[in-house]
Amino acid sequence: MNALELIGITKRFGSTEVLTGIDLCVDEGDFVVFVGPSGCGKSTLLRIVAGLEEQTSGNVRIAGASADGVPPAKRGIGMVFQTYALYPHLNVADNMSLALKREGLPRAEIERRLAAAAEMLELGPLLKRKPAALSGGQRQRVAIGRAIVRAPKLFLFDEPLSNLDAALRVNTRIEIANLHRALGSTMVYVTHDQIEAMTLADKIVVLNAGTIQQVGRPIDLYTMPANLFVAGFIGSPKMNFIGGDDALRAGAHTLGIRPEHLTLAANAPRWSGTVRHAEHLGSDTFLYVRTSAGELTVRVAGEAHVAIGQPIGLSAPDALVHRFDDRGLRLGQSSAG
Amino acid sequence: MLAAHAVLIAYTAVAVLPVLFIVMNSFKSRRAIFLAPLALPGPGSFDLVGYTTVLKTGAFGSYFANSLIVTLASLAGIIAFGSMAAFALAEYRFRLNTLTALYLMLGIMIPIRLGTVGILELMVAGHLVNTLVALILVYVASGLPVAVFVLTEFMRTISDDLKNAGRVDGLSEYEIYFWLVLPLVRPAIATVAVFTMIPIWNDLWFPLILAPGEATKTITLGAQQFIGQYVTDWNAVLAALSLGIFPVVGLYLIFSKNLIRGITSGAVK
Amino acid sequence: MTRVPPRTRRNRTHIVVFLAPAVLIYTAVMIVPLFETLRLSLFTTSGNHFVWNGVANFGVLFFDERQSLGFWNALRNNVYFFVIQMLQNPIGIGLAALLALPRLRAGAFYRTAIFLPTLLSFVIVGFGWKLILSPLWGVAPSLLGAVGLKGLFAPYLGRESSALTTLGFISVWQYVGVPMMLAYAALISIPDEIIDAAEVDGVVGIAQFFRVKLPLIWPTIGMISILTFVGNFNAFDLVYVTQGALGAPNYSTDILGTLLYRTFFGYQLQLGDPNMGATVATMMFLIILAGVCVYLFAVQRKISRYQF
Repeated sequence: MNALELIGITKRFGSTEVLTGIDLCVDEGDFVVFVGPSGCGKSTLLRIVAGLEEQTSGNVRIAGASADGVPPAKRGIGMVFQTYALYPHLNVADNMSLALKREGLPRAEIERRLAAAAEMLELGPLLKRKPAALSGGQRQRVAIGRAIVRAPKLFLFDEPLSNLDAALRVNTRIEIANLHRALGSTMVYVTHDQIEAMTLADKIVVLNAGTIQQVGRPIDLYTMPANLFVAGFIGSPKMNFIGGDDALRAGAHTLGIRPEHLTLAANAPRWSGTVRHAEHLGSDTFLYVRTSAGELTVRVAGEAHVAIGQPIGLSAPDALVHRFDDRGLRLGQSSAG
Repeated sequence: MLAAHAVLIAYTAVAVLPVLFIVMNSFKSRRAIFLAPLALPGPGSFDLVGYTTVLKTGAFGSYFANSLIVTLASLAGIIAFGSMAAFALAEYRFRLNTLTALYLMLGIMIPIRLGTVGILELMVAGHLVNTLVALILVYVASGLPVAVFVLTEFMRTISDDLKNAGRVDGLSEYEIYFWLVLPLVRPAIATVAVFTMIPIWNDLWFPLILAPGEATKTITLGAQQFIGQYVTDWNAVLAALSLGIFPVVGLYLIFSKNLIRGITSGAVK
Repeated sequence: MTRVPPRTRRNRTHIVVFLAPAVLIYTAVMIVPLFETLRLSLFTTSGNHFVWNGVANFGVLFFDERQSLGFWNALRNNVYFFVIQMLQNPIGIGLAALLALPRLRAGAFYRTAIFLPTLLSFVIVGFGWKLILSPLWGVAPSLLGAVGLKGLFAPYLGRESSALTTLGFISVWQYVGVPMMLAYAALISIPDEIIDAAEVDGVVGIAQFFRVKLPLIWPTIGMISILTFVGNFNAFDLVYVTQGALGAPNYSTDILGTLLYRTFFGYQLQLGDPNMGATVATMMFLIILAGVCVYLFAVQRKISRYQF
């Protein structure tokens, strides 16, 4: 049984189509991340799953049952919002138990679930506080707790880390991953940050302009991007794209090479150029090299001693060169140089 | 900075002194009012004769009660119906949204008094002349446009996430309005309340036209007629004026902090 | 896979429930009577019936001496009153500019005090000033004497030449708090960084107000002006309280509001006429409409709004 099934979902606002024919199945227990640039429709899709937005056409099935026309509270979902969306006039305990009270659960059961969630998220000492008296990270945990107490069939996360500072973001990312392991529930997570997607997901759904570009395990998206969009979106620094004769010789319209797959070659380099700029990160060095094929980014492990303006030769193993046709779709791995 | 203070102090004097003279002299004997109008009431000049005349003669208790009922009932109607409409306009996408909003806000530009002929006709037909209901209906209708305008702007600023969290937690649309959104727009509601309350309490036109009867007279109309009758009794006139000033100033001093915060927090820009 | 429309459309009755009370009351008590008034201006009363009269009522209002003298006089007075009334905007904005100065102490006190008269009813304001300006009572002469201007005193409200001007200034005195508050709110919502940048660029003091702040609050000033224009037609109360329904002395303070009142309800020897009353109201409506249109299409378009 699929935890979530989307069948031909389309959404139009007036005359603009923001989602076009989305088909997707999510297995029980999977952590699925919707990722894409802003405006790609990922949040709208999540809101349709939640029942906060109504699809123009298509069907949503949650845990095998049709969710079309079912109000959000009856879909068996728990949701964590980007801005936390805690009720400002309720304390932490009441924020977390509101939905349970609405469902009419017995008081003892509510208490039990509240205690369990508070324990898991270390919210115990905060239960009587109002949201205004909490830090950003604490609010985030309450928002997650509010979803957990409902023991939902499906967890929905809408960019939950984007309002946290960089250090807290990494911590919370790990907490969410631990939570998934501990609960084993199905989770759908929306983000524009490909690092979050790569680190959290069992399965990534890359969206662009209202359509699914590719669905797959993070490592598959990295090693075998289905098209130019996915190739450029996943991975940082961005993949280098080379067109023109170089590509034609390889039987493609465009070649794609990740910066970490370009190597400095003193003898018989495939491309040669001059170093225009270098960024020294300690663990890596990013070189921006002007070549006849355009500007290429090179990622060298550790510290590379190069001077600006220095001539340099670059190569890449054929197995790691991606080839795309004139529609931007992936061709098989390059065989000829 | 000194020049700024000089200008502000000067203008503050212009604004406050006339009011002060009225109140001050209302506590003086008739002789003192004319002999030394600029002096504070002292042991020799203190006299409450004006107030005793007013309280003996006019039915000010009943006028005051009428004004209170009309103002509070109108305010309740404006806030309740105005905030409901504002919520619908701010929250939902529907085909007639913009048109409805424009229609409701038309009234900001058109004084309701221009429809007086038609309003009187309507109240006569509904047997509502000389009832407080007539006044309340008129004030609710005339207060709605501004209330809808201000509250819609304000409600748009409330996070969608919060309302959606409520929906996921099983709140109905009515509960989201009443229980989530209303408490959050309280500052805006306070601003709207004060700004709509003042013209209702102070209005002379509609009480004069729709409810001039003794039983339904408001304090503004009552005071106007009382003063008209007692023009020559300066003590009584000054006392009546002061009685009109006290409640307003008292309320204002209590609410002024919130009021100014409400205006400056972006409700009216 | 064929796309199937969702089976159940969600219930949307709550939108109607939220809108219905406001729309119904507003329509029944404001809009319908307004149009009824406009309609009645095209009829005349014969016995108990309204009879179609075309635009004849307007002809009477404009050209029949018994009505037209009063109408043109009231219109002229109304325009004059509006011009005086507009003085409240520069004064109010000036005060707001001072109040919005950073590090000004006691600002809340000034704001509270200057806004105070706005809260009082016309009855209190009108009678209060009538007493203060009364030659019987010595307040105004003594005050003028205190600053050495005793010779300037005159029974301002009682003289034809000065009564309307005096009323205009009383109205400015009462309402200066409104433009002050709105302009103040607009001024303090200008981001500090913009002001800081102006300071760094050497745009300070008066120049800062005219070159930086004023352009940023033009939209507010436009709105204040149009509100003043509309509110000006509500000035009935002040005239009625201080000078009576006839706009004494000798109609010199008669404005459209008092004219409407007399025409509709009658006063002393004059009989009330709902149709002529409606005609006066219609003219006021058209004037306001014209003013608002000029504002919307000519003025507001030239004003740029800035997002901070």
